[in-house]
Amino acid sequence: MTTTHDIFASLTQLPAPILEASATLFLWNTVTFAMLALVSLVGIVIWRFAHTYLEGEPGRGMFKLMLAITLAAVFLLATADSLLVLSVCWLVTSLTLHRMLTYYPDREASLLVAHKKFLLSRLGDLSLAAALVMIWQGAGTLSISELNDAALASGQVDELTSLGSIFIVIAVILRTAQLPFHGWLIQVMEAPTPVSALLHAGIVNVGGFVLIRLADVINLLPATQTLLVVYGTFTAVIATLIMMTRVSIKVNLAWSTCAQMGFMLLQCGLGAWHLALLHLLAHSIYKAHAFLTSGSTVERWRFYSHAPRLERLAAWPLLLSLPVSLGCALGSTWAVYRLLGFDHGVETALGFAVILGLALSPMLARGLGHQARTAGQRLLLLVGLCASVMLWHALSHWSGVPILAEPSALNWSIVLVCFTLLFALQAGMIMWPASTFTRNFQPRLYAGLYLDEIFTRLTFLVWPPRKS
Amino acid sequence: MQAPANTMPNARHASRQLDSAIPVAVRQACSRIAPSWPLDRFIAVNPWWQLVDQPIADVSERLNALAGVAMTMPPAWYIDQYRHGAITDADIAEAIALSSSPRLTPAHVVKLLESAGAAAADTERRSLMVDVIDKTRDITHHQSWRVFVVTSISQHCAAYFDEGGQSLLSPDRTLGLYGSWRLQAGFDHSPSLLMGAGAFIGLARQLPESAIDAIAWALGVLAVPADELEPYLHSLLLSCNGWASWCAYRAWIGKVEAAADGAESEMADLLAIRLCWEALLLQMADDQARNLWASTIENWRPVSASNPASDAIWIMQHALEIHRQRDLRTKLAALGVIANDEVDAPSRPALQAVFCIDVRSEVLRRALEACAPGIQTIGFAGFFGMPIEYQPIGTHASRPQLPGLLSPAMRVTDAGLSEAQVHARQARMRTLGDVKRFRTVGLSSFPFVEALGLTFAWSLVKESFRIAAKPRDIDGAGLSDDARSRRGFELVAKADGSAVTLNDRVALAAGMLRGMSIGQQFARILLLAGHGSQSRNNPHASGLDCGACCGQSGEVNARLAAALLNDPQVRRGLALQGIVIPADTWVVAGLHNTTTEDVTLYDLERAPASHRDDLAQLQRWLAAAADAARRERSAGQGAAASARQAFDARAQDWAQTRPEWGLAGNWAFVAAPRGRTAGCQLDGQVFLHEYRAELDSDGTILQAILTAPVIVAHWINMQYYASTVDQQHYGSGNKVLHNVVGGHIGVFEGNSGDLRIGLSRQSLHDGRRWMHDPRRLSVFVEAGREAIQRVIDAHPMLQSLLHNGWLHLFQIEGDGQSACYTRAGWLDERAPM
Repeated sequence: MTTTHDIFASLTQLPAPILEASATLFLWNTVTFAMLALVSLVGIVIWRFAHTYLEGEPGRGMFKLMLAITLAAVFLLATADSLLVLSVCWLVTSLTLHRMLTYYPDREASLLVAHKKFLLSRLGDLSLAAALVMIWQGAGTLSISELNDAALASGQVDELTSLGSIFIVIAVILRTAQLPFHGWLIQVMEAPTPVSALLHAGIVNVGGFVLIRLADVINLLPATQTLLVVYGTFTAVIATLIMMTRVSIKVNLAWSTCAQMGFMLLQCGLGAWHLALLHLLAHSIYKAHAFLTSGSTVERWRFYSHAPRLERLAAWPLLLSLPVSLGCALGSTWAVYRLLGFDHGVETALGFAVILGLALSPMLARGLGHQARTAGQRLLLLVGLCASVMLWHALSHWSGVPILAEPSALNWSIVLVCFTLLFALQAGMIMWPASTFTRNFQPRLYAGLYLDEIFTRLTFLVWPPRKS
Repeated sequence: MQAPANTMPNARHASRQLDSAIPVAVRQACSRIAPSWPLDRFIAVNPWWQLVDQPIADVSERLNALAGVAMTMPPAWYIDQYRHGAITDADIAEAIALSSSPRLTPAHVVKLLESAGAAAADTERRSLMVDVIDKTRDITHHQSWRVFVVTSISQHCAAYFDEGGQSLLSPDRTLGLYGSWRLQAGFDHSPSLLMGAGAFIGLARQLPESAIDAIAWALGVLAVPADELEPYLHSLLLSCNGWASWCAYRAWIGKVEAAADGAESEMADLLAIRLCWEALLLQMADDQARNLWASTIENWRPVSASNPASDAIWIMQHALEIHRQRDLRTKLAALGVIANDEVDAPSRPALQAVFCIDVRSEVLRRALEACAPGIQTIGFAGFFGMPIEYQPIGTHASRPQLPGLLSPAMRVTDAGLSEAQVHARQARMRTLGDVKRFRTVGLSSFPFVEALGLTFAWSLVKESFRIAAKPRDIDGAGLSDDARSRRGFELVAKADGSAVTLNDRVALAAGMLRGMSIGQQFARILLLAGHGSQSRNNPHASGLDCGACCGQSGEVNARLAAALLNDPQVRRGLALQGIVIPADTWVVAGLHNTTTEDVTLYDLERAPASHRDDLAQLQRWLAAAADAARRERSAGQGAAASARQAFDARAQDWAQTRPEWGLAGNWAFVAAPRGRTAGCQLDGQVFLHEYRAELDSDGTILQAILTAPVIVAHWINMQYYASTVDQQHYGSGNKVLHNVVGGHIGVFEGNSGDLRIGLSRQSLHDGRRWMHDPRRLSVFVEAGREAIQRVIDAHPMLQSLLHNGWLHLFQIEGDGQSACYTRAGWLDERAPM
């Protein structure tokens, strides 16, 4: 903490020429400040938590040192204007994380996970290095603001830079644990809870931040966008289905992170950069809380065991509520964008409203079939949740983060088709748990669709967790 | 039971014998696993409870051979105790005299221990097929089969038993544990992809349909000799002991609550799955592994051999216990013949306060007694003899509020709430449940994060800085504040559904008062204090609550018991039985918060105006006692002068892994008048049960104490013992890695592995040293020798525990001298050195 504090203190006391120079070294905008606020909050909370939690454990000092270095690196990463500085900081967080993941070096499983992550991250580094070389060759600069300005001014991106952006996306995919490179993210429970919280709430999100930094460039590159959408959607849908079969709290949360990262990437691919930023911030904070309070699982189980027995969701209330919730979500979106006079991004917002509407319908459906008052309350809850989403949409809209004016119809159809499919699969399996399909699909989902086995086996061969 | 198999040369004869021996061996192996309760009612259990019919040293040898279990600390630890004076030569000499090798000398024992480290080579556990195949592979560059098989089985059990606790999609439970595994194994690509076992799916599809057929088939494949069947099956269950214990729990409550259908056979199913893995591995193995397996089963380490080193360790373990026993026996004798207040000083007590026998009550009781002369405290099981289950009104949640050994005879629910309030609760809980599903059910988790994710910033700040860190009122879930304040408790029905009559209630009250040997004197205020703990974000929180209330707070029992005793109708009924509670006696319920030492009083507004001053005085005494108790305990917890804040912080901090030390250090149980132990500094390590033999002419109370509270204490004692001596098998490991399974079933340590039972390392160890030294429970009873002997003679369970070295028993004479129970008789004095 002192490190970051010192940087800030010294920043304010710098003489004018250096301040001017820092304006070119650093990039100050809404995204920067949002990230700094996030890192500060999560950093302080995890620091305080770990101080008590790891009392009596060997390695508490090591953890604090690594956390301090990580936070310093993320602060620099969030403020840097240079892709090179950003990449180096990203590398540093990966190395400090490696040390934290091996908190208990005698736990074979924890070493295996760390090795898996290390191998993938280095592949990511290679990809990133290649991207930097290409961008340097193509655009002649590694300054984020210069790259974006040039893209905005000229409305086009040279071929090398656009190829470089593909390599950046590959690095992001490797670093944000997209399928099938997700195994390590799921298995980090072999390190203490604060490590999981830091990783899931912080470090894994950096990939999304890097993309948001290059928003204006990627907005001009349809191939890169489609890559992000396809990858993100695939991961979000599959990981969500798998998450539904998980039985232990931390692993459940980990699959949720995997899915949320996919969702963030698809938002990036759709050019909804403001929503991607919102998602990054909201997910980080939610996930930090979820991991740090994972010990309250039993208390929550006891609390919810007071709820009336869950009736099986029937088809007719769901079909009945679907148009209502879709209408509510779409209507409130349209109304808010109209009222606030937003001139672009309406299509994007309506697209996400479809997902919101699908998501809300089971809640409304479960309220039907009880007293009219219950159904009414559900409707009110539904409107409240829509309003809450709209509030954040509006705030992120005003943040000045770029929004792609004309999103690709192809990309949107991929997303909407896949999410409708997810909705149907999910609802179907919940409504008919004893059907042949569910009986055969559940064990395969529970096995994680066998997506991680081969990589684990390779890791054993390449870098075994213990010395022979 | 079948006769043990002879070793006949005729192979056909042998195989027929095997067939008939299998069901017996399965039943025996399955009967050897003790139950483990889920986290929402995490009571202590002796993990060796199903083995107490054998001498403890034999069990130790057997489990060590079968699964590498340790039942004592390592030799170096005892040497260390010896060097620091916690064991003396005199203790060792006494232990030798009571042992089966009386010719040893203390010096010899110490020497045996010092050289014991070198003899560890022949104490390796028996190899199973997973180990054999691992020995023939390069397990540096490949996942080990032992890890893979345990993980695979554990994952299947977790999904099967989850029942909506965490997951939204579960395997088909109608097929049973084995059947659903078989279905799943038929298309499981993991063994092939991760382990390179390409033949797995093909072989798994040919597995027999029923578990018992699968067991017979697998044993045939593995060619295990008939006389090794039961030990082999036992060792397989021990290799997934956590889930076996869960199956044992399901069978246990199946008997107690008749709730879990088919639970009886679940352990056999688990055994079948584990055994099928062994057989499949053998089928997939190469010749080298096959030959190794054949020679392995011929050379399995015997399960009953004894060696001098382990004899010496058990002598040292006994010496460790003798050292404390001697100290306490001296203290008990110091008071000589104690005064009987009722006869000698018939003045009315200033206060009577009943606390749980839990060792944590001792400090507070001593502190309370010191507040004023005439304060009398009484130790009694914290469920106050109420054999109840509690069902919060308007819900399906129901939980036992009595020791795990007993089954509930009556149901209690909330009283004083209007129908509208109950309906409102149901509606609110239904909505909250649906909002929770919006958060967790698949697709909606994305919009959820966007709608509400940022609001968790406030929760983070609140938890981190302990703002408004009041404990959550789980029993009042969904109730308005007004409804919560109105809430009382009432008995609604008996287990058979019939109504609770006045006679039942009088019988409950009379049983309670007799059981606590309260006699004929009643103070103006009689406090019934249950206890509960306070911790945050702690999956094992209920393990710190009242064990006699099945791991719950004792609030329900204490308030119900107090209301019974204040009921004029019940008092009239009691009077007819000769128990006269004076009209000016008011019974008040309280709850001792064992984490902070505060005592909360309940239903004060119902007390008559005449008792307001008495209750105010009581609260002042309790506050003073709590301060004193905190001061005493803070020495052990490393907290500074501001003890109050330090204790509150521990109770409220979401990151705290050691909110309190629970029952760490427990080692003795005293059933005697409080006068016998009054003034003794027992450091919160002794269970204290009030017992006055003169009020128990027919010995029924003594029998109840020795067969119920003593057993509960023994379970607690053995849980702490087992979790300390073998964290791997009987402890839940490192708390900072805990990962709750199925919402409430138990924890994994890390990603997966077996379900972990018992206490975490943090509950027993402060990072530098053990806070609990393993000592078997020493029970001291002040009663006639014949009366005690009669109870022992009538209860084979007690004989098992005493004769096999699971428990020590002492009889205290009227003059404070004590005698030790042995199989051969009572020893007044131990053999001289």
